[in-house]
Amino acid sequence: MRTLEGHLAGVSTIAWSPDSNAIASGSDDKTIRLWHRATGKPYPAPLLGHHNYVYSLAFSPKGNMLASGSYDEAVFLWDLRARRQMRSLPAHSDPVGGVDFIRDGTLVCSCSTDGLIRVWDAATGQCLQTIVHEDNAPVTTARFSPNGRYILAFTLDSCIRLWDYVSGTCKKTYQGHINVKYALGGAFGVTGSDAFIASGSETGEIYFWDVKSKDIVQKVSGHQGPVMWVDTCPGQSGTLVSGGLDATVRIWVDVNEDEHDHANGITTGHENNTALQGFVDDNGGMVQVKIENGGYGDDARERMSVDVNGQETPAQYAEESIGGIEPEEMLG
Amino acid sequence: MNLSLVDPFVLAQDYPESTTGSLRSGHATCVRFNRKGDLLATGRVDGTVVIFDVETNGVARKLKGHTRQVQSLSWSRDGRYLLTSSQDWKCNIWDLQDGSILRSVRFETPVYIAELHPWNHLKFVVSLFEDQPLIVDASEPEAAKMNLPSAPKRTQYEEDDTARERQNAQDAKQSTTVATFTASGDHVLSGTNKGWLNIIEVSTRTTIYSTKICTGVVIFLRLTNSGRDMVINAQDRVIRTIQLPNLSAADLDPDTIDIEVEHKFQDVVNRLSWNHVAFSSTGEYVTASTYNNHDIYIWERNHGSLVKILEGPKEEHGVVEWHPHRPLIVACGLESGRIHIWSIIPQQRWSALAPDFAEVEENVEYIEHEDEFDIHPQEEIHKRRLDLEDEDIDVLTVEPVKGEIVDEENSFRMPVELDLNDSESEEEFVAVGRGEMRRKSPTEGRNFGLDGELPGSADEAIKKAKPKTKRR
Repeated sequence: MRTLEGHLAGVSTIAWSPDSNAIASGSDDKTIRLWHRATGKPYPAPLLGHHNYVYSLAFSPKGNMLASGSYDEAVFLWDLRARRQMRSLPAHSDPVGGVDFIRDGTLVCSCSTDGLIRVWDAATGQCLQTIVHEDNAPVTTARFSPNGRYILAFTLDSCIRLWDYVSGTCKKTYQGHINVKYALGGAFGVTGSDAFIASGSETGEIYFWDVKSKDIVQKVSGHQGPVMWVDTCPGQSGTLVSGGLDATVRIWVDVNEDEHDHANGITTGHENNTALQGFVDDNGGMVQVKIENGGYGDDARERMSVDVNGQETPAQYAEESIGGIEPEEMLG
Repeated sequence: MNLSLVDPFVLAQDYPESTTGSLRSGHATCVRFNRKGDLLATGRVDGTVVIFDVETNGVARKLKGHTRQVQSLSWSRDGRYLLTSSQDWKCNIWDLQDGSILRSVRFETPVYIAELHPWNHLKFVVSLFEDQPLIVDASEPEAAKMNLPSAPKRTQYEEDDTARERQNAQDAKQSTTVATFTASGDHVLSGTNKGWLNIIEVSTRTTIYSTKICTGVVIFLRLTNSGRDMVINAQDRVIRTIQLPNLSAADLDPDTIDIEVEHKFQDVVNRLSWNHVAFSSTGEYVTASTYNNHDIYIWERNHGSLVKILEGPKEEHGVVEWHPHRPLIVACGLESGRIHIWSIIPQQRWSALAPDFAEVEENVEYIEHEDEFDIHPQEEIHKRRLDLEDEDIDVLTVEPVKGEIVDEENSFRMPVELDLNDSESEEEFVAVGRGEMRRKSPTEGRNFGLDGELPGSADEAIKKAKPKTKRR
């Protein structure tokens, strides 16, 4: 296990590059940093430009661009090779909760606590569609479906909605879990030939819905507090990972048929709250859990770490704590 | 996948309207898009090949290996390999997986143009200065070079000796200026300095058909993506388009090949000659850069009419290229070496930002629905809404987009280099202080032994000082 250090304030989001060789992290210190996965070292220059906390990140499928959503209400598109800001999209009137790239990289979606989901043309930077639900509930996370036809949106009215972004209509609403306070996130998954949606709940369970019938197909519990994020392993293995406010990351495997049972691996080591996205490396069975320290008051001080050779990596920045923000503040 | 959301009127426009930007890394002399259209290779005066990412307009890779100006570029079908020819008399095949030189082939004379075989990235055809064109097979590290004929095929031999001798003497003067493979790779099309077009069979390396297409030198040949059409730029200031017969037909009889010029594009008024020509993505349009003029011309091939003269930066343009599937044209400025881009900037639709509003042409009387202000209990609305969601949804199956190149699962994708350290060192501007920049002198970095030289005399120093006082 390796700790990546360099941010001056809490880290709210991380993202894997498509080739799994780099990790991007967005922080409350308003910067985005890129890291070598293999060495754990940061790339020299951080991405500077946001005026407020960076809250969400997404790599383009080719890995040449990065979209970032921030509390400054804008979405930035970055040229990663030059580490240059390509475009700034005047996206929302509230902090941007989530961003995502479509599978062919032509569209970016963003969502915000102002209740809007916007779809952007990545090439021209123009807004192509805005989706809004009548109730205008704050949208905390939005992501494209695996085939790019729909957008899955997590809202603070305890609903997850599947939108057809071309027509702007809601196709499915998934309910049953509780989500009124935190920015929860979930993912699409595949078992056999069927797709499911997995998401955490503030009651501590993980819920699984069938995409077509909207039925809850399974409900598993393991976390002690709200389950902040659930992510699935690419492919059809049905493996997923979850992280909760109880500072644990749990890996779930498909035991028999559709049964997701028993957390078989618990990763702890975070005394603080973790908001996180679990993830699995593309290449082969190696499971890597992407953990984000929620950064609620914790900072670089705690992150003295050891690099590959077991030597202590010198802390590059002053170890001063910049106050993090509680998720409740954002979503309140 | 953005097509379903883009304004159909914008999509209907298939040629560019105005300049939308430019790219710069050194002095570029030639450009070429890859088949997917996400990368643009450019060759520079100093021999460096720079690959731009079309999506980010940033440098994706620099290939260093040539010592003189790059002459031509040619991508392999999968976009992994790039063939470059240069004035240092060499051709290199680059592997873009790691940016290394896969093969380097040296010739006896300067190379005009080198074109890769469409299906074999280790085979290419080169046309050489005052020499026979060659097919080069670089499958082995030691490349095999095979001569191709330049002399046209004569259909009838002259009867008497003097006439035949004269013909032979003429044929000896023929030299190939440009050569390219057909879409199947079974034939080479070549143009000569006497205006002949030859079709050469690759397997036998003999000319199977020849025709005199024009009087002057054939400067350039280019095929459409489908390989069915060809555009020829010649010295006689006429651009010709030709529909090619199916050369890979099984029952092809070389004697029945008949090549006719479909269209002749020229500027009769200004008598312009053309620096470079290119087909549009579908082959529907032909574009050309003009000699001693700043404009880029676009003709359409249905009726053979001029549809657009693109104005842009006040500069003559050399190589011009059309994006493989978008209405986007790039051209190299001859003086500045900058790469100029023309395309379409769609208007932001305001209704996209506010979903409750619709854009209307004129005032529309609003008709109130019968039940518009009926009050229903919240739960009932909610339930009714949920009941409506009974559509069958498929979130997994990817629908193929028509007209796009199918992105094969194992297709090559160039790795993204996040540490292009050398990109800064070649900037033209160097920081001399906080917020102050100065243009790098062209000789900087190339050490010719001048750096150590002291100012020659005292008045030279005075000269340098003078402008400063004037500026104050």
